[in-house]
Amino acid sequence: MSKRTKPREPWFAVGKPLSGYQAAIPMALSFVIPILIWCFAAYAPFLWHVDYRITMTSEPSDKEAFPATYVVDDTMEESFFESFQDSIRQDNKILKEQREAGTVEVASARAGRRANQKVLKNFEPVMRANGWFTTEKTEENVSAYFKAYFAATYETWGKLAAGELKPASGTLSRENLAIVKDNWALLSSVSPTYDSGNFLSEPIYRLIPEGKKVVGRPAYLPAPHEVVVRGWQDFRGESELGELNVWEKYASSLRVVISGFLLCVLIGIPLALLAGTFSFFARLFEPFTDFFRYMPAPAFGTVLMAIFGVDQQPKIALVFLGTFPQLILMVANTTRLLEQPMLDAAQTLGARKGQLVWRVVVPGILPSLYNDLRILLGWAWTWLVVAELIGTKSGLTEIIDTQGRRFHFDHVYPIILLIGLTGFLTDQVLANLRDIFFPWATEGKKSPLARLFRWVGSRVQAWRDVDPPVAPVTVEASTEGESHP
Amino acid sequence: MNEQIELPSYLEQSPEVAARFQRIQARPEVLKVANMGRVFDSNKGPVQALNDINFSVRRREFVCVIGQSGCGKSTLIRILAGLDQPTSGQVLCDGEPVTGPGKDRGMVFQGYTLFPWLTVKQNVMFGPAMEGRKGQAAESEALQWIEMVGLEKFAESYPSELSGGMKQRVAIARAMANQPRILLMDEPFGALDAQTRAQMQQHLLQIWRAVDATILFITHDLDEAVLLADRILVLGANPSRVQEVIEVPVPRPRTLDQCLSPSFLATKKRLEELIHPQTERKASFKIPRLVAADDDVL
Repeated sequence: MSKRTKPREPWFAVGKPLSGYQAAIPMALSFVIPILIWCFAAYAPFLWHVDYRITMTSEPSDKEAFPATYVVDDTMEESFFESFQDSIRQDNKILKEQREAGTVEVASARAGRRANQKVLKNFEPVMRANGWFTTEKTEENVSAYFKAYFAATYETWGKLAAGELKPASGTLSRENLAIVKDNWALLSSVSPTYDSGNFLSEPIYRLIPEGKKVVGRPAYLPAPHEVVVRGWQDFRGESELGELNVWEKYASSLRVVISGFLLCVLIGIPLALLAGTFSFFARLFEPFTDFFRYMPAPAFGTVLMAIFGVDQQPKIALVFLGTFPQLILMVANTTRLLEQPMLDAAQTLGARKGQLVWRVVVPGILPSLYNDLRILLGWAWTWLVVAELIGTKSGLTEIIDTQGRRFHFDHVYPIILLIGLTGFLTDQVLANLRDIFFPWATEGKKSPLARLFRWVGSRVQAWRDVDPPVAPVTVEASTEGESHP
Repeated sequence: MNEQIELPSYLEQSPEVAARFQRIQARPEVLKVANMGRVFDSNKGPVQALNDINFSVRRREFVCVIGQSGCGKSTLIRILAGLDQPTSGQVLCDGEPVTGPGKDRGMVFQGYTLFPWLTVKQNVMFGPAMEGRKGQAAESEALQWIEMVGLEKFAESYPSELSGGMKQRVAIARAMANQPRILLMDEPFGALDAQTRAQMQQHLLQIWRAVDATILFITHDLDEAVLLADRILVLGANPSRVQEVIEVPVPRPRTLDQCLSPSFLATKKRLEELIHPQTERKASFKIPRLVAADDDVL
């Protein structure tokens, strides 16, 4: 047992920062909790009713209770599915009783044969799941196809009845296997192979429907695993998104957002600097900008299309229009926040007007300006989604919109996540780079990237200093430490 | 002006101090303030912040300006620096009227005004760089000033890595690097703890002795004023004007030991009387007694 070197720190202390693993745990939880909530909402069996997706269907005689024909992949509620099964069991039970009493009725030989063929057809999912029948049905081969299918099924049933074949687990219930055996006894009494001319017209037993349990979630709530799988397929271009290639659309989105943002920065920052520095320009620019930003940028969508056409330009213009007023006001304000005493000091040191702007104001506000631009980049992404809907839809929003309209939300969420991740990661990288760009502006702990950068820098410095071991080494050492005498 | 004022008897100068003042009198005036006044517009009408200020500072003199808070000390020094304009009278530096900030009047501020994006060395080189002096010569000159304030180990550090006292030392070096005719200091040690402040006072006196510096120093700390100054201008409030000029009779070089000498205490007592008049000192608060009579410590 090692001795505790640090006092136990409380998890909840008013106004005190957590350190080390104590900080890491809530940071991890902040992502884990939303995912858990999603998992819970998607998977919790009691939140949503359980449905059955039919894997093998059948036709009950009770047309009043079951008026529709149910096919494979239809879903139905649990209770309905059970009554569906029970109805078939009831039919089989009556048939058995009739058979034992010798009162089996045959309406017509033709109708009887047709009904029996249907039972054979319903067996198809089992044939395919086990690989016992692989021929595909096309428009040309319909009659040949069914002939082949019936022949294969005959052969299979015979082998199943004799115990020579065994179905893979989960593909055929015991109950249905017993029915297959009973049916084979009936069918083989007429002919051991399929012969449409010599086919049993007396009814055989019907197969009990089989199904898989599925959670009946609403369309807007796909399960996490579905979204992951679908996203993986979409991003690899392996899914049915059709013409839409995610990465092409992603590149298009990036082009729009970066063009709009850069344009905004190039035009906006000089104006904002002027406004922040000289009261004259503040009065000139800011009142109108302040008014303009309350007019939502998307409202100008059609105007921008009239000016710039329907291609990418109106989209870039919309990102610009949405971000620009924010940038002017934000950066002008940041500029004004530069401490007046610093300007006073520069003037007493002999700085003239131009020098004040370039040597004091600009370098002084750079770190805050950098942070402003990070926030504004977020704005640009927000406007992007709106911008891509005007004119011809483009970019990632096109996928979101087309898939969303069809309720394919398992395609929609990966794209939204992609946009979110792009913004988040960009911001994280930029935040880390800030410490490298402005080492003087960060107090206390540096970000990991900046520490790595610093470490590499110090290694290079040490390597360069190896040849002449001169005095500056001590100066380097003293600047590294932050302690004061 | 000040030479006409009669010294109270307890401020009698020793022969060596008197000789020193005579030497100072012979020197040229670096800064001259003539009939200077400043009126501010406020919601309640014009406010006379400064009224008819007259004084001068001679070369290599150390002048302290003292006064209660709100008496216009900061306004005065901002006008001297050229950061504010007087509404009447004028300020002359080397005989030239002051119209705006300039490198002939260096200034050290109360708050920390170092440029955080520049290293200590770059901060000190800022003034020379403004007039295009860069390169090796300017750099070694800057290092000399940094050495003067004892921060050569921190030449490549950023201000955020320095303590408060160190920042103010850099600010002094930065102002001195311009070799101003006069160094204006606006309560530069006001934000420092007592220990650091005492160190800084000694340090400043050493620098002042070592280089050709004329200093006008604003403070509200009486000890500081007496310790540092040749002459002390006492600013009175309402109306703000030079109430009295005191020639400090404490001999130089000054150390902390002299804080208890009779001449030091006499000067301080006189300042005390000027700044907090008798009537004001007598005024007492009505404090209710909350202790029992038998629990009295007196």
